[in-house]
Amino acid sequence: MSELLQYIITGITVGMVYSLIALSFVLIWKSSGVANLALGQMVLVFSWFTYGMLVQAGLPLWLGLGLVVLFSLGMGWLIERAALRPLIAQPILSLIAVTLGMAFFIEGLVSFIWPRSVAALPRIFPEDVIHIGTAVVSQEYLWAAGISLLLFAVLSFYFKYSRMGIAMRATADDQLAVQACGVPVTRIFSRSWMFAAVLAAVGGVLMASIGGITHGLVETGLKSFSVVILGGLNSFLGAILAGPIIGLAENVGGGYLTPLTWPGVKEVIPFIIIVIVMFVKPYGLFGEERIERI
Amino acid sequence: MDLPAGIRNFTYAQDMAIFRTRWQWMMLVVFILALFCAPLLLNNYWLGIANLIGISIIAATGLNILIGYCGQLSLGHAGFIAVGAYAYAIMVSRFEWPFLAAMIFAGVVAGLTGLLFGIPSVRVKGFYLAISTIAAHFIIIWVINQWSSLTGGYNGMGVPVANLFGVSFAGQKNQFYLIFAITVLVIFAAKNIARTRLGRAFVAVRDNDLAAEVMGINLFRYKLLAFFIGCFLAGIAGSLMANWIGYLNAENFTLNESILYIGMIIIGGLGTTLGPILGVVFIRLLQEGVNSISPLVEGWIPALPSGFTAGLGPMVFGLVIVLFLILEPRGLAHRWNLFKASYRLWPFSY
Repeated sequence: MSELLQYIITGITVGMVYSLIALSFVLIWKSSGVANLALGQMVLVFSWFTYGMLVQAGLPLWLGLGLVVLFSLGMGWLIERAALRPLIAQPILSLIAVTLGMAFFIEGLVSFIWPRSVAALPRIFPEDVIHIGTAVVSQEYLWAAGISLLLFAVLSFYFKYSRMGIAMRATADDQLAVQACGVPVTRIFSRSWMFAAVLAAVGGVLMASIGGITHGLVETGLKSFSVVILGGLNSFLGAILAGPIIGLAENVGGGYLTPLTWPGVKEVIPFIIIVIVMFVKPYGLFGEERIERI
Repeated sequence: MDLPAGIRNFTYAQDMAIFRTRWQWMMLVVFILALFCAPLLLNNYWLGIANLIGISIIAATGLNILIGYCGQLSLGHAGFIAVGAYAYAIMVSRFEWPFLAAMIFAGVVAGLTGLLFGIPSVRVKGFYLAISTIAAHFIIIWVINQWSSLTGGYNGMGVPVANLFGVSFAGQKNQFYLIFAITVLVIFAAKNIARTRLGRAFVAVRDNDLAAEVMGINLFRYKLLAFFIGCFLAGIAGSLMANWIGYLNAENFTLNESILYIGMIIIGGLGTTLGPILGVVFIRLLQEGVNSISPLVEGWIPALPSGFTAGLGPMVFGLVIVLFLILEPRGLAHRWNLFKASYRLWPFSY
């Protein structure tokens, strides 16, 4: 029984981080219709950058994390400006392929600058474990979940009340109409890439503080695609709810299915969920079904 | 269109021929003769690269039918190649099937796997399909790694040397003939698929699947057929790959390899017969170039970070893919056609 509680708590908290990374994807998809397949590599490069700042440069925590945020803003801007803007209004295949090219580039960059394959971040969160019932949870998990929730709240308020946020929602709805109203669409694209990069960076730091920096972070990015698919591509609410579901399925399923099937089943559960969702309800729980006209 | 001046067609057969003039036939024969004489000149190292190029051309041609003609995105091509490779290896080593039967069996198994993961394509497209094929890749690799009673798991499995009509295909030179004979056949088949009803239906589906359906094209059938053909060729490439490597391990088939295949057909030119060939040659030679140059550069400039060799390759490939998409989205095949046109019209370019 205590096992189950442990799996559930781990699953939900890790799932919240998946949601955060998925949110980064949804943000870009909603505003510009670009599927960012370089998400995992972005998560990887930001957590390595954090390592560089905190460990290699030895900066204090506040300065290091501040620089990480600045770096991710700059990188998001650069990616949009250099790779995505020349491809506006190109077919979806080009848009997907260009993010794949970026993924390759970023992966090369990471092994170029940080040739080690594994590293650990210094402890950002307090070390004591917390007992919930019979389960023992280390504080990173709870902090990660808390920070993710906080960011959801901030983003929701931003989209609901700020001028730019409303413009972003409008762009997602109808680009032509928004352009006719005098909203600078390209600025909105670059703004959404910058925010998405920051979300990926926060997600990366949280994941890295839980499990260390490994190449598995790329897979974390890929797993968050299952969150996106389950929740629906253009739904923030879907991403927030689907994250814990995936996390739960992964941890509870991984815990109980491993003796029944093969080891490593935990890692493929999100991908199996993707396939099942594709067969049953391809547009996800909250996604908008596209109706096309010729 | 791109015929020399003064060539006219008097029969439909002439009009439909791929090679229209005697000169073109001659070029073809000379090229194929030169290709099959190449093993006499090349050493083992270059023959190995040529073999890899041949295998990759088969796989890329399959992917090109799927993406370039039918517009169905697949990011799991390396996974389907792995299915073919393992199906071949299991049949040959455990059941002692003959080479040809095992190769075709490998193609069919890979094709059926592709069908299974391609079924969502009937309802979704674009990004959804990309993700479901990525999922396919991870599931396939997991099954291969864990089903160790059949595949050898993480330890991998050995593949016995292929044997056809009493000729054993050991060594790079013998394999070169085998691989390139099949490659030529595959290219010819792909060219003809593109020209027949099937290929035209694929193109209609790619350009607008709703409109195609209204015109009477059965979407379910043709999309799945594209998946089957594309993955069948991946399976054939996989069986040759198994034969060529001699020792299979799931590490040979990474997600990056799939991305590289997409990069190859984009660089070569989507939806052309020539495209995959040019793209594969370009990327594989670039790979070799990077692999052989980066240690040299590291020797010249010792101040470089130690990850230089590992990081340079992916960086270059990523950059090349992005630059091609931005600057020449129609690929090398388009450039080649422009070059041919200007060469033919020179010096009067009008």
